[in-house]
Amino acid sequence: MKRPQKILIIALALFIVAAAMAAPVLGQNVAAVQTTDKVLAGAELTRVVPTSFYFQGQAAPTQMRNAAAARVASHFVIAGLVDTSGYSADIRAQYQGFFITDSAITIGGESLPVGAYGFGFSNDGKFNILDLANHQVLSVATTNDKSLKRPRPLMMTMDGRNVRLYAGREYVVIAVK
Amino acid sequence: MKIFSAQRRLGVCLATILLSVSLLPAQTTPKKPEPQQTGGASTGAPATYTSRRTAGITDPNAPVVFEDVTSKTALASFRHRSGGAAKDYIFETPSGGVAIFDYDGDGRPDIYLLNGSTMAAMQGKEKPPRAALYHNLGNWKFEDVTDKAGVANERWGFGVAVGDYDNDGHPDMYVTNLGVSRLYHNNGNGTFTDVAEKLHVARRGWSTGASWGDYDGDGRLDLFVPGYVQIDLNKLPPNPSEPGGASQNFCQFRGVPVMCGPRGLPGEGDTLYHQKPDGTFEDVSVKAGVSDPEKYYGFSSAFVHVDDDKLLDLIVVNDSTPKQLYINKGNGTFEEIGYPSGVALNENGREQAGMGLAVGDYDNDGRVDFHITNFSDDSNVLYHNDGDTNFTDVTFQTGLGEVSIPFLGWGTSFIDYDNDGWLDLFVVNGHVYPQVDAHQWGTSYAQQALLFRNVNGKFERVGAPPGSALANAWPGRGMAVGDLDGDGRLDLVINNLDDKPTVLRNVAAWTGHWLGLHLVAKAPRDAIGSIAYLTTGKVRQRQDVVSGAVFCSQNDMTLHFGLDAATKVDKLEIQWPDGSTEVFAVPTIDKTITLTQGGQMKQ
Repeated sequence: MKRPQKILIIALALFIVAAAMAAPVLGQNVAAVQTTDKVLAGAELTRVVPTSFYFQGQAAPTQMRNAAAARVASHFVIAGLVDTSGYSADIRAQYQGFFITDSAITIGGESLPVGAYGFGFSNDGKFNILDLANHQVLSVATTNDKSLKRPRPLMMTMDGRNVRLYAGREYVVIAVK
Repeated sequence: MKIFSAQRRLGVCLATILLSVSLLPAQTTPKKPEPQQTGGASTGAPATYTSRRTAGITDPNAPVVFEDVTSKTALASFRHRSGGAAKDYIFETPSGGVAIFDYDGDGRPDIYLLNGSTMAAMQGKEKPPRAALYHNLGNWKFEDVTDKAGVANERWGFGVAVGDYDNDGHPDMYVTNLGVSRLYHNNGNGTFTDVAEKLHVARRGWSTGASWGDYDGDGRLDLFVPGYVQIDLNKLPPNPSEPGGASQNFCQFRGVPVMCGPRGLPGEGDTLYHQKPDGTFEDVSVKAGVSDPEKYYGFSSAFVHVDDDKLLDLIVVNDSTPKQLYINKGNGTFEEIGYPSGVALNENGREQAGMGLAVGDYDNDGRVDFHITNFSDDSNVLYHNDGDTNFTDVTFQTGLGEVSIPFLGWGTSFIDYDNDGWLDLFVVNGHVYPQVDAHQWGTSYAQQALLFRNVNGKFERVGAPPGSALANAWPGRGMAVGDLDGDGRLDLVINNLDDKPTVLRNVAAWTGHWLGLHLVAKAPRDAIGSIAYLTTGKVRQRQDVVSGAVFCSQNDMTLHFGLDAATKVDKLEIQWPDGSTEVFAVPTIDKTITLTQGGQMKQ
C-alpha cells in the first residue's frame, strides 16, 4: 500500500470513529435547539408581553389572559388582545390586538418583516395585519379547527417548527424564515 | 491517477459519510407533533342566525301560560328608578333585584323589590327611591309592609340574597348596593335590622349578585359577594350626552355614542365572608382563593354542588370576561377551573358578557347544569354538566342559541311551569342602551321575556298569544320564581328598570301533579346546600336549595317538583348540608310539605 493511500485510509477510519462519536452529540444539539421552540408560559410569557400597546394614536392595555408568545429558533412572535374600548367603532371593527415579531416570518405563506403591528381576525375568515397607523399590511385566510376541544380567545400552539395563532377555532400558521 | 482515483473514491465516501452524519440528527428528530390542545369535552356546531326580533312576536295558536296580574296587586304602585332616561352611566342600567321568600313564616311567599337611585338622591338633593317589601295575604292580595319592616334600603340597590345566617329560623337578606351593602337581620316579629356594619359585611363598592352557602361545613352560612366596576361618583367616566365629549368618539354601539363600560373601566374584585362562631364575619377572599385578582366584572354567583363531593362549590358569572368555577378543596380553599372545565368561555372560545345564572338539572341526569344570559348579538349559553367537572356548551344543540341572539338577557331560572317533571326555562330581557329604539337594529330597549318548554332535554320556545302577558315587552332585570298563590303552579315576579314590576300568574291550562318541599336542616337551618332527589317511575329529578343566582335575585327556596301524571312519589332522598342523607316516605302529593333533618315530616 502506498503511503498516500495509507494516510487516507487512516484518516478515513479516524473520521468514521469521530463521526460515530459525534453523531449523538450533534443529534442532541439539534434536539436541544428544537426543544427551545415552544409556546411560552408563566414568567417566560409575562417577561416578553408588553402590558400595553400603541396603535393609531393611543395605547391600550393588554388583556394578559389573552396574550401568547412563542420562541422559534431563538426568535419570538408575540400576540395579545388589547382592551379596544377606547377606540372608535371603525377601528375596533379591525383592530383586536398587537402582533410582534423579531424575525422575518411568513403567515399563511405571506411574508412579514420584523416589526410591531396590529392584527384582527375578521368574520369573513381573514387574518389581517395592520401597521401602527391602521393600514393593512397583510391579509390571509384562516383555517377552522373543528377538533379543538377547548378553544380560547387567543392562543398559540406549536405545529412542528411552526406556530399556530388561534382566535377561537380559527388559526393561521406562522413560520420563522 | 490511481491515487487521484482512490482519493476521488475516498472523497465520495467521505462526502457520503458527512451527509449521513449531517442527516443523523434529522433522522432522530421526533415526529411532527400534534398541535398542543387543552383537554375537555367536545362542543357543538355553529349556527346561522336569522331571528332579530325582541318585541311584538306573537303566535295566535299558542296557549296562555301566564297572566299579568300586576295591576290587581299592590305591587302596581311600585316604581323602579335608576338614574336618568338617557342612561349616561353604566351604574344606571343593571339595577333591579327581587326576592320571593316567606319572611314571616306564614306559609305564603312574600315579595321584596329593590330600587335604584339617582345622582341627585346620592348627593342628598332629593328623596331616594325606596325598596319595598310586600306581605302576601293570600288570594293575590299583598300589603306594603316596607316601613314596618324597615327594609327601604334607600341606596342604589342591585341585588338581594336570602339566607338565615344566624339559624334562628327567620330568613335574613343581604342587599347589595352601589355604595355600602346591607345585611337585614330578620327579627322574627315583622321587622328587620341592618347589622352589616356590626357583623363586618358592609361591603363598599359596587356589589351585585351575592350568594349564601356554608362552604366550610361548620353549620354557619358564609357569604360571597361579586364586585362589578369601580365607580367614583365624583369622577365619572365620559358620557354620550356631553356634546363633543370623549364618549362621542370612543364609547359607541354600532357607531352611536352610548354610556361607557364595562370594558375600559376598572373592575372590582370579589369578596368571601366567612362566618365565625361569634356570628361576625371575616374577609377570607384571598386566603380562600376567590378574591378575583384579575378584577373581572362580577354579576351573578351561586354556591352549588358541582362535582357532588358534598362540598359546596362556587360559580361566578362575569360580564365581558371569563366566568369562574371554583371547586371546593375541603380545606377552606378553592381551585378555579373555569377554563379547563369549559365554563369560562363559550364553545368557540369567546368570552361573553355574562349577566344572569340559572342552576338546575335540566336533563334529569343527576347533575346540575348552568344557563347563563348574555348581551345582544350573542346567544345565551347552556352548559351541560358531563361529570368530573367537565362541562359542554350545548346551547345550539338544545335549541337555545339562535332564538336568544337579538335579546339582551338578565334574570333566568329553570322553572317547571307545566309540572311535567322536566325543568323549563324562563329568561327576562331588556337592553341597556335606550338608543337602540331610534334605529332599525332588530333589537329594542324593552324586550319580551322568553319561555322555553323542555321536551326531553331539548327546548322549544313557548309562543305568546296576542294580548297575553308574554306578548308584552319590558325593560326587565331581576326576577324571582315562587308559587305565590299555592296552587301548585309556579308564578313569577319581574323587576323592570325605571318601571313598575310585573307579576305573572301561572294559568297554564294543564299541568301535572306536583310536590313542594320546605327543608329544615340542623345547620344551616334554612338548608342551603341541600339536594333533593325525587323519583317517580323512571324519572329521577334533582333540585338544590340555592341562595342567589337568577340575576341579583332570589327564588323562593321551597323546592318545587312537577310529577306529571304520577300520583305517588316512589322515592324521596334528601342530602342535607352536612352531607348526611335521609330517605322520606311521601304519603301525599299536590301540596307543600316540610321535611326536617332527623326524620320529621309536616304537611
